[in-house]
Amino acid sequence: MTSASPMPLSFSREIFATVSPAPYLLANLTNVEGEEYPRRTNSRQTDEFRLPIINVNSLQHCFGSAVVRTGDTAVVCGVRGEILHSSDIANPPNVPATSLHPQSGTAGSDTASPAQDIYEIPALNLLVPNIELATGSSPAYLPGNPPTALAQTLSQRMLSLLHSTRLVDVNDLRILYQPPATPEDEETPDVSPAVEIKAYWTLYIDILFMSLDGNPFDAAWGALLAALKNTKLPRAWWDPDLEMIVCSDAISDARGLNLHGVPVSVSFAVFDTKRHKGMGEKDMAWVLADPDTFEEGLCEETVTIVVDGLSSNGMQLRRIEKSGGTIVGKDIMRSIVGRAAKRWEEWHSVIGQAGG
Amino acid sequence: DRRRINGPPGGTSAPIFASALSSDQTIEKLRPTRTRQADELRKIFLKTGLTPSASGSAYLELQVPNSPSQSLIPQRSTLKLSCTVHGPRPLPRSAQFSSNLVLTTTVKFAPFATRQRRGYVRDSTERDLAVHLETALKGILIGERWPKSGVDVVVTVLEGEEDGWWGDELSGGASGAGKGGGWGLMNVLAGCITVSCAAIVEAGIDCVDMVTGGVAAAVLDDTTAQKARRKGTAGDDDGNSGSVLAVLDPSPPEHREVIAACVVGYLSQRDEITELWMKGNAGADAEALVDRAVQAAVATRAVLVQAVIESGQAR
Repeated sequence: MTSASPMPLSFSREIFATVSPAPYLLANLTNVEGEEYPRRTNSRQTDEFRLPIINVNSLQHCFGSAVVRTGDTAVVCGVRGEILHSSDIANPPNVPATSLHPQSGTAGSDTASPAQDIYEIPALNLLVPNIELATGSSPAYLPGNPPTALAQTLSQRMLSLLHSTRLVDVNDLRILYQPPATPEDEETPDVSPAVEIKAYWTLYIDILFMSLDGNPFDAAWGALLAALKNTKLPRAWWDPDLEMIVCSDAISDARGLNLHGVPVSVSFAVFDTKRHKGMGEKDMAWVLADPDTFEEGLCEETVTIVVDGLSSNGMQLRRIEKSGGTIVGKDIMRSIVGRAAKRWEEWHSVIGQAGG
Repeated sequence: DRRRINGPPGGTSAPIFASALSSDQTIEKLRPTRTRQADELRKIFLKTGLTPSASGSAYLELQVPNSPSQSLIPQRSTLKLSCTVHGPRPLPRSAQFSSNLVLTTTVKFAPFATRQRRGYVRDSTERDLAVHLETALKGILIGERWPKSGVDVVVTVLEGEEDGWWGDELSGGASGAGKGGGWGLMNVLAGCITVSCAAIVEAGIDCVDMVTGGVAAAVLDDTTAQKARRKGTAGDDDGNSGSVLAVLDPSPPEHREVIAACVVGYLSQRDEITELWMKGNAGADAEALVDRAVQAAVATRAVLVQAVIESGQAR
């Protein structure tokens, strides 16, 4: 038997990536010849994000809308408002009349809202975000099936983030009515009739994915932020003669929402060689920012940070979510949060420019 | 629907605008009129390659001149469609053997696509459109080259054409088809056919030809009635005094009454019709209406060819 040297295998990068994805990613990350930093398969650096592109207000049936593209992930978000009558609420929350200021256009967003206000929105379901992945955005998400676990968890995370950051001020959603003075009130002429909440605006926030290439939560949250920032609610009032809520359709009467800060979501994935076979002897781990579909399939551990730079105390941390592994400890978390703060600047400037 | 986040349990209602409640004369001034010629189509914007993970994808938009309005009530009626094609893919093992390519079409309206908010569950109009689309596309696919395989065509309607002017529809039903015509669906179907063909061609699936959708309608020519209304001399007329005008690419809000409409899926190189859907009472002019719809499809083909050439160059 001749001992022939084994024929060198040569196949293209695409075949290598399909047949053995984890060694392919490892080869990219460890190949540092001629470069200062390791490059990922999409030729980004490990801490480099995709730049978002935002277009707003292109949908005419919505009070506000946004289309966000981060790389190959594309999302459309539309915000529609509908009226919820107080008479349709089974257990109306107890809002003291002193906290209701008649609609003068601006509710002070820096004043501390009374404790009851923060429970009104969650209790009444006034914000209804929904994420739809099954639009053919990726071969794994075709229509005809009920929402997958990923779609349900995304919607639920968005809802809980909306509630915990108190992004939307409940004063913007209340439709108040001050009844005229009746003859009985002449006995107490100094007290004007109590202002009551006749109805609420309910915002249906529908988010559809046109294309999915990893990191759906950041794109969806960015689209929601841009859409809410550009939402204009019409002026609404209770008409006692018609006994219904009537709105004015003049754009000059419409007012935007007073949002509390600009919370931005930043996600990372951790590539850990321990979990895959054929990785060599050394155990290495990399934290990859803004993962795409290829990287998400190889990473179990993910971290999502929500930061807000517009609060009165400077850059504030609003949420940390971490699951799937043990690589990220306190030191790595500190550097991740620092990186997220820089990403906040990018999102903030892009959303600001898109508003116009 | 347990799997989605639902709104308030008591239900919500769409906002009612004060101007819609006012008298007829004041809102009548807002009624749009057709400014194009009878055989002029609206400008179409068609682009492919927006979803790289799909085999093929395309986006179609009807461009309407942007007239800034002072009102929050949406005035324009446009069409925005996005299509993705996945395939040919192997059928699941449990599926029956099929010697031809199995085509599955889905049409879904986004919740913000129409004046009334739609839900996420597919309803009967969407299934109906999907069946019409499948009929149109089956005629161009060469099925026998792909046994035991399936292809999925998914069309998402981001903004749908309206069935009539909103001022006429104050008592409209759930689908917004106040007069029961459903004329906007024909424009939606024509757009779906064109955009699906662009996505299929980008996916590289074997076809005999390219199919385009075209719509033509027979409408009441009410220009004389409009002039009489402005002068204040018009009585209660049901439109019998007006003549019938045939128009291509009708926008239903622009016409007071649509008598009949027809949408075709047409292959112009082979001069074949794969899909034909006619609504209304065309009477003796049914064939002429079909011919006009074919003219509209031929005019759309130029846009489709341009988009396909650009997608080929982009590769």
